[in-house]
Amino acid sequence: MEVSPLSIILVKSDSKGDRLLFRYPFQTQKNNEPSSKSRKNPYTLPLVEDTLLQSTVPTNTAINKETLMGYTDEVLSSLFAVKMELCNRKFELKVNDVRFVSHPTLLYGNQKDDEDGSGIMLVNMVFALHALASHSVVKCYHDLSKRMGIVLRYEERRCGYVSEQTKLMTSVHDDGYTNGPSSVFQIILEKCSVANDIKKMYDDLCTTGLVNLRINKWIPLSFCLPQKVHQWHMRGRIVEPEDIDRTSLCVTTSKTSSSSKSVRNSLFRCLKALRPYHSLLLLYPLSQMNDFMSLDGSPSLLRMLMQYSPLKNLQTLAADADLTLSHVFELTAHLVYWAKATVIFPICSTNKYVISPNAPIHLNSPLIEKFSESFPGLHLIRVISEFSLPTSLGQKCNPLCHPSQQSQLIKTIIWMLQHHLLVQLHTYIQYMPTENGLNSKLDFSKKHVTSSSPISTVLSSSYQLTNAEHSRAESESGASTVSETPELINARSINISFTSTENDKQDYQEELLLDFPDEERSSIFKIPATNTPEDLKLFARLCRKDYFQGNHHIEEIMYLENLRRSQLMQLLDKFRDVLITYETEDPAIAMFSCSS
Amino acid sequence: MDMNNFIKSRPEYSGKEGPIRCIFFCEFHPTAGPIISCQVPENYISKELFDSISVYIITKAELQRSTITVTLQDYKILGFPIRIDDRKYARNAYHFNLCFVCDSNARTVQYESVVVKLSDYLVAMEMERNFLSEGKTSANLQPILTQVMNDLNTKGECALTSTLTEGTTATHLKICCIRLDPSPVMDYQVPIFVKELPEQQWDLTTQQVTPYIDGFNHVARIAALSDVENNLVKACVQNLVYYGVVAMVPLFQYGNVYCTTPKLKDLAQDPDLQSRCLTYVGKSKIQLPCIRDVFRMYAAMTRGTTVRDLCMRFNPPNLRINERKLVQFGVLEGIIRRVNKYPVILNEQSDLQKVFSGSCSLDEICCSMGASSQQLEDQLERDHSVVMLWK
Repeated sequence: MEVSPLSIILVKSDSKGDRLLFRYPFQTQKNNEPSSKSRKNPYTLPLVEDTLLQSTVPTNTAINKETLMGYTDEVLSSLFAVKMELCNRKFELKVNDVRFVSHPTLLYGNQKDDEDGSGIMLVNMVFALHALASHSVVKCYHDLSKRMGIVLRYEERRCGYVSEQTKLMTSVHDDGYTNGPSSVFQIILEKCSVANDIKKMYDDLCTTGLVNLRINKWIPLSFCLPQKVHQWHMRGRIVEPEDIDRTSLCVTTSKTSSSSKSVRNSLFRCLKALRPYHSLLLLYPLSQMNDFMSLDGSPSLLRMLMQYSPLKNLQTLAADADLTLSHVFELTAHLVYWAKATVIFPICSTNKYVISPNAPIHLNSPLIEKFSESFPGLHLIRVISEFSLPTSLGQKCNPLCHPSQQSQLIKTIIWMLQHHLLVQLHTYIQYMPTENGLNSKLDFSKKHVTSSSPISTVLSSSYQLTNAEHSRAESESGASTVSETPELINARSINISFTSTENDKQDYQEELLLDFPDEERSSIFKIPATNTPEDLKLFARLCRKDYFQGNHHIEEIMYLENLRRSQLMQLLDKFRDVLITYETEDPAIAMFSCSS
Repeated sequence: MDMNNFIKSRPEYSGKEGPIRCIFFCEFHPTAGPIISCQVPENYISKELFDSISVYIITKAELQRSTITVTLQDYKILGFPIRIDDRKYARNAYHFNLCFVCDSNARTVQYESVVVKLSDYLVAMEMERNFLSEGKTSANLQPILTQVMNDLNTKGECALTSTLTEGTTATHLKICCIRLDPSPVMDYQVPIFVKELPEQQWDLTTQQVTPYIDGFNHVARIAALSDVENNLVKACVQNLVYYGVVAMVPLFQYGNVYCTTPKLKDLAQDPDLQSRCLTYVGKSKIQLPCIRDVFRMYAAMTRGTTVRDLCMRFNPPNLRINERKLVQFGVLEGIIRRVNKYPVILNEQSDLQKVFSGSCSLDEICCSMGASSQQLEDQLERDHSVVMLWK
């Protein structure tokens, strides 16, 4: 795995010169193989061929069994005791197939009793990585080194921690020269807390990717390597932090967006993929979240988790926890980044699930055991096989079903979603008015959609978010009327007042679709449903808002436009000649669970 | 200004390849220490900057002949330190390093082999006629470095010929793209050309194999048809995949099931993709199918719907659509994805557990057992301890 570090090296440089203080892992016993290089006879003449032939020998690798080999401490310390000009900024050096990355930090000891006059000291905690490690991995390690530098600088100023540890390590090194070098690092590891922290950091980075340290028993240092943390469920696929950032589908903004914009920009772009109708799914039981929370210490996170349920959408969660929606988004993004949670569409009876394309289910999978522990008597493969074909919750439970069976079913689905074994399918709609598709699409959208880009459409529609909430309550009580946009009302009232009733029908049709190209209009009018003004009006409205471009699934349209499923399904059925539907996963959610 | 920033910021994410900004030659002067003795263009790397990083350029003995890349705030410097031991030099050794400088956010791996080769060329020149140490370094090197930089940046390759003294020497430099290793090729996969095979002298296996790559024959069949050993065919196909000439698609069968991916919406919106699609999937070149029919067929691909079902529902020949090509195009462009079946046997006693464990797809099993998928499926259906997973 190329994201784990090969080695962590701590180098200092001060007025007494540079020195490699500690490296981990180190070899406890020297391998006693005689060095393959025989001593060179000083009297041999260098031959041109000899030197040239060297190039055919593959350049030697310094990686052996996932650790760094072949460089002596002196060489490494001379490389990483960087000149002043390179301090306090990113340092990156690649030697053959090893990439070293760090953030050399200058410490200004303010101890008066410091015997070396200058009091300036450089510490450099270097991570040795595979050269293939991607830019983002390098960036993360640089960040970790930088944070460590800041912690050490603070601790040095507070209580001279670094000087003390350095003194300890140098004295062990000096003693080591008399006792033999092999055990030096072992002794340091036993004596020095910094060395211990480095060891723990290395072990954590190699196993979980989550580092949680308390340097000098005082300052907490927590770090997450997303490329590693998210790997356990996405076998082989490496998750980049930019992945969590990248899904910039459209910006759903809440009303507080402008105020928190700067904060959000610095946060992950994961926020951009979040919608108020999404819901949070914790990957661990709530009880296990405690140690994570004590670290974070944010009271709002605690408050949100108190109200947590995978059946609630984020908007409800925000209301229940009495937090702003944008803050709930931020907390969600935070949990996703730390691989504590994932984002799903709230579980409801119309959701269709299928087996995730890279679900690791086979007879030898440890998941099978884990599943039967949680659900005695059930076999994971039998349960999941029912999702070979798209299956909805509603299909699976019949009215005669016992309520306990139903809750069991929901629990199994939640379990499988937590383990990323299922993906949800959504229905998308593509508007295709003519045989040739949307040839005239360009001027079409220019003409009638004032805000032509899908982003702005969602922006404007979610603008009414707060209103939508109110009216939703009404619509659910049964009396649902589709609210008309003001211009349409205008258009109609003008019609009514100036035209005779006979031409009325023809005219309102024309009026409604005035901004559609002729060709499209004629094919739309072949559909009998255009005779019903309500249907046509709804169709025209949704079309104008670009909902039928495959960017919005049915649930999103329902949410944004405050429609009921039956209304939308009827419309789709009536206009099926120009609207083509297809089922696929929501890319915004799929990125949290499987490779797309 | 904004645009510039945008372009500057981009390579960092993708690790894009950037041009060589500067080439300099640096040596260890017996009295002055490390100095830059020739630089193209002049003064690109300042003296102060060089001093702060010279430890990575004229290195300790252990790092000789290693490719070393230092990333600074504005530059990335790639070098290959070299030492030539000889009594004739003032300190019994001559140290030098030829370095390429690129933007700090550009990828430089592809230049490593070039730097190594060019350095070795200089070593040879130095050993034969003191080309570097005779004191005219700058005059000697200036034209060479200029030519190398210009040619590599424009053509990606450079042929150096030197006629300075008796005889001529030549060396050829070429930038090779470093790509990811292609994934292993399986027996049941089908190679398909996505580009014209470049006109050149291919090896014998490739020459023998390529005529059978038609987008319908799977690897095992190609091996049989071309009378080439199976593993050789795989190696050859993998090589072609590496060069981007061939892509792998699943075997076409009428019983296959495909499902749509979120990319399907591009087909409706991207006119270029549309026209490529129509020419590809059309039955004849004269009268192309219409996009609405093609889109409908793709949209109808869901789990549980086989290609056979689709053909019965849509009757593709009537719509001027070739269904095989339709599936091929969809898979190649990622509009659709194959849904594989994974049989799992839950009967603990069965010795078939190894095969039907859920990690091999039905295709894989059919290919290794030499059975048709229809036969196998019928047999599995009768066994109640077998569960079929589609994913």
